[in-house]
Amino acid sequence: MTASNEILSLRNLTVDFGGVRAVNDVSLSLQRGEMVALIGPNGAGKTTIFNLITSAVQPTAGEILLNGKSILRKSPDQICRLGISRTFQNIRLFPQMTAYENVELGLHSTPHYSLAEAFVRTPRARQIENDTRKKALELLEMVNLQEYAHARAASLPYGLQRRLEIARAMATSPQLLLLDEPAAGMNEDECNELIELIRKIHQQMQYTIIIIEHHMAVVMELCRDSRIYVLNLGSLLAVGSPQEIQNNPDVIRAYLGERKNARDFSAS
Amino acid sequence: MELFIQQLVSGVSIGAIYALLAVGYALVYSVYNFTNWAFDAFMAFGAFMAFVGISSLFMPFWLAMILSILLTILLSVGAESMAYRPLRERKAPRLFMMISAMGVNLAVVNIINLIFGGTFRKFPVESVQPIFVGNVSIGRMDLIAGLISFGVLALLWLFLYRTRWGLGIRASAIDIQTAALMGINNNAVAIIIFVITGVLSAIAGVFYGIKYAVYPMMGIVTIKAMIASIVGGLGSLPAAIVGSMLLGVLETLVSGYISSSYRDLFSFLFLIVILLFFPNGLMGKNVDEKL
Repeated sequence: MTASNEILSLRNLTVDFGGVRAVNDVSLSLQRGEMVALIGPNGAGKTTIFNLITSAVQPTAGEILLNGKSILRKSPDQICRLGISRTFQNIRLFPQMTAYENVELGLHSTPHYSLAEAFVRTPRARQIENDTRKKALELLEMVNLQEYAHARAASLPYGLQRRLEIARAMATSPQLLLLDEPAAGMNEDECNELIELIRKIHQQMQYTIIIIEHHMAVVMELCRDSRIYVLNLGSLLAVGSPQEIQNNPDVIRAYLGERKNARDFSAS
Repeated sequence: MELFIQQLVSGVSIGAIYALLAVGYALVYSVYNFTNWAFDAFMAFGAFMAFVGISSLFMPFWLAMILSILLTILLSVGAESMAYRPLRERKAPRLFMMISAMGVNLAVVNIINLIFGGTFRKFPVESVQPIFVGNVSIGRMDLIAGLISFGVLALLWLFLYRTRWGLGIRASAIDIQTAALMGINNNAVAIIIFVITGVLSAIAGVFYGIKYAVYPMMGIVTIKAMIASIVGGLGSLPAAIVGSMLLGVLETLVSGYISSSYRDLFSFLFLIVILLFFPNGLMGKNVDEKL
């Protein structure tokens, strides 16, 4: 029974970029509804793993299964329709568009009505447009951006742009949500708000979430009931609960030499 | 005064044709970052197809126009799927796309030349009485060309800013990879864009052919569309339209009051003067600062 509940499985993934092995024999399995974190020093291959899952990068070897089916060599829009959505380490919103339009775009990922219907404005097309508008505003409300609906994305402060990116990722109705450093550049208060937000959407929408994050406090808090995967130099170094990871000598060694990170660990 | 108004109307009508062409360039450029040099060949192709429709198949004008639009769409989408898409899928630099477009241009123009010969032909429409408003005479074809061009541009605007397909295209113009991750099918966007390009070039070709002549190299006029979009401000559709209107009016005024042989001289002079004072074009915006 456990196998049928597995949503994502990475099997022995390896990626070579020229002579550099960016990801080395990484395997990982996620159950539906889990929220896990992927951590590791810079250049460990975390974002490459996201790029693999969204088919932006093809593995040199290995297999990726979503709900038991391979998703290798799918186009990005197919990946989106299969239910995978992501945010980016460096925000990649559509800056000239409004917050509302950014979200609306994702809502259209499933086709509903034809161009002719759109021009003639049949009742059906209008109904769907209304539903779309309502859903877009709901999503903006969920991340507390309702009053910025018609502000251009570029004009929003940094923290709000991060939230808008999360709302946009939710708009495609994903099963699997990949968050790439959502807390980057945030202060402690903002981090706490973010933790609350991610918890809320995780519970309400029943997403399966993988989160890449450098803020250890955020990671330890969000994954207190689940697992953390630690990557180092492309290989999986350790898997375990926050407690286990904090006391794992290999992990401490990987982060050592950077006193800052060591302190991050003890602080959390 | 009558001459001025006549020239103004004529200028707006030629400006509308430039606008169709400028918008066609801007649309491809905004999404794919390359200049579709094959566009002027599409325009000539469109004009010749309408020409054949009327003179050989004895179609009425509107039917020949539809035939021309449909065939030019086929050519445009064909060029996209054979000359551009394979390069795009191999992630070729955009310079290669441009060279590929030049290849398409050469092939199409020379095939037309081979079949029809390089002579200038008069477009086979009967000359009709101009409409008189007071003492001002307005060419019916000028009026029709202007109205249809503006109508098409208005429909295009509605499509881009009021439908979800338009939203997808605008998103692709900003960041095509992220748009794909939001479920936008890149190949579908490409087909829509090249269908639009086909329609724009066919209509522009037919009306330009009526106004001047039909010949294989007639697409050279697209250089004016380039001037217009630079004057307006590169990469923005409304700016391309404004630039086209200004250029069209300037040209007809120069033709009317100075001499038509100085027309192109003034067009390029206009470009230089505008760029001296508005390096981003009249309505060009500086790129937004991120964060």
